[in-house]
Amino acid sequence: MGVVHKRHVTNKHRFIGFVLIGLLVYILSNTVDEWKSFQGATIAVYVVAIASIILLTGYSGQISLGHGALLAIGAYTAALTQIYLHLPVWICFVAAVLVTSLFGALLGSAAARLSGPYLAGTTLALAVGLPSIANQFSFLGGEQGISFDAGWPPLSFGEAFTQYKWFFWITSLAALIMMWWIQNLLRSRYGRTWRAVKTNEVAAELAGIHLARSKVLAFTVSAGIAGMAGALLAATINNVSPSAFPLALSFSLATGAVLSGVNTLGGVMIGAVALVAIPEIASLVADRWSGSESVASLLPDFIVSALLILTVFLAPKGPIEKFWSRHVK
Amino acid sequence: MFELINTLLIGITAGSIYSLMAISIVLVWRSTRVVNFAAGGLALASSFVGAAILEKTGSFWIALPLAMVAGAIFSAFIEYFFLRPLLKRSGDQGAEIFLPIIATLGLLGIIKTILNYIYGDRIGALPPPLPDKGFVVSGESIALSPMRLLILGIVLLLMISLTLIFQRTNLGLSLRASSFAPEISRLAGIRVDFIRTVGWAISGAAGATAGILQTTNGSGSVSPESFEFSLLLVFGFVAAVIGGIESLVGAVLGGLTLGIILAIILMYVGGSLVFIAAFLILILVLLLRPQGIIGAKGGRRA
Repeated sequence: MGVVHKRHVTNKHRFIGFVLIGLLVYILSNTVDEWKSFQGATIAVYVVAIASIILLTGYSGQISLGHGALLAIGAYTAALTQIYLHLPVWICFVAAVLVTSLFGALLGSAAARLSGPYLAGTTLALAVGLPSIANQFSFLGGEQGISFDAGWPPLSFGEAFTQYKWFFWITSLAALIMMWWIQNLLRSRYGRTWRAVKTNEVAAELAGIHLARSKVLAFTVSAGIAGMAGALLAATINNVSPSAFPLALSFSLATGAVLSGVNTLGGVMIGAVALVAIPEIASLVADRWSGSESVASLLPDFIVSALLILTVFLAPKGPIEKFWSRHVK
Repeated sequence: MFELINTLLIGITAGSIYSLMAISIVLVWRSTRVVNFAAGGLALASSFVGAAILEKTGSFWIALPLAMVAGAIFSAFIEYFFLRPLLKRSGDQGAEIFLPIIATLGLLGIIKTILNYIYGDRIGALPPPLPDKGFVVSGESIALSPMRLLILGIVLLLMISLTLIFQRTNLGLSLRASSFAPEISRLAGIRVDFIRTVGWAISGAAGATAGILQTTNGSGSVSPESFEFSLLLVFGFVAAVIGGIESLVGAVLGGLTLGIILAIILMYVGGSLVFIAAFLILILVLLLRPQGIIGAKGGRRA
């Protein structure tokens, strides 16, 4: 194909797309059962969390293996705000974003000086270390954790409106708003600055970009989004405890980011759905073709790991870019 | 006083095991610029091999070297069939280290599920081959036992032989040259690809030793979901980063620093702060020296 037919997508088109996704979620929430609603809410949480990693790694070029810890900070902040200050739920979410951003700014100022393996090591140590603090201080609730209650659905929605459907609504709405804001941000001056720094630090500096400031800002924003994801996660499971934020969570978020294509925000749904759907599919497969219980419990991990390796081999830039590079040439 | 000395002894033993794991990670990083999380899985797999051989032969002294050989073979296998094609495909993308990290994470997952499938709930026993009861000094039992002495001895022996290999042999020279300047080494007639595989093999052997020593020093048994091995991997990596990830001496210093400080915190502050302390140590060291204790700023070291 000689001529590249470049489609012009404006912000209006994107807005319509977001509204359509919102409508789809609304219709889905009316048809699915409670368990599916819970899974839908989980997908929405993963979308936000994975977007924060894509922003940091794909756009600003910094590595984080410790986003689970940032989610934990957001979740604990939301819960503590509710328990000790008795503020409305939405303020708890705002507090979670603010506190986590602040922490992200601190961490980012250290991270801006680090590169590659050093940054990976630091964030990994954070992911292992931070959740265990909860066992040291009693107000954090130890191993049982503390509760976080996002409230019951308003009575005007009727009796049949389930709790999980409500969570599905809240998380999806939050995810849509966050994603709208993130995609605008990435198209703004800041997003371009981050990509310039990622592509070539020297050239970016010559163009007048303050490298450290740009990196710290990216870390701060990413942490804020992760904090939101953490608060949403806490809302869906009604509880915040160290066991909700194991190292495995950080690893699966990184996995989700790679499956989504770490350089493009557009694929974020792929990773989020994959993280939720794979265990489901795996247990179906195991039930159908194998009676063995060990296979059923091991299959999800195996599929995720194998998919990860396949993605890195076959579509290192992510499924979406792979698709485009094949069809738009 | 006794308490402090005991804490230090415990810290040095644990730290020397972290050092071995750190060496395993450093060797891979130097030869292929990959942060190898699969090292934890390889150590786990080799420890299972060690446990199986110990069960068959009953001798720790046969099990340990054979497990090291197994670790070397596993590691070389992974480099040859997995990492090499991966790096060839993705090309040399400079600072792009995220994808290889993720790939080795995937490998770690696969190794674990395979071990889980084979062993399930069964565990491999690796009891201490020597008495673990501390020597008695002036009426009090100190933390230095024959077993701990053996661990320190093995680690020391490995480090000396690694240093000799790297400083005194042609192989060591090739290893250093091909990590310092692969292109020039290739022109000078060094088979860089083969040398890289050798680097991975040595790394696998070091990891296997770390795994077996960690098990004998700890619970004495190894299971696929072992917490000890997650610790070993994380602390080994942290130790490598503290030491500057390029340098073997740095890895040893990093491991010992980490081991001693964590032992002190475990003894005097509280168990649940150990992990966050590892993070704080790491970030303190890196704020003072962003390239680690021994790392060089910019450029590779031979």
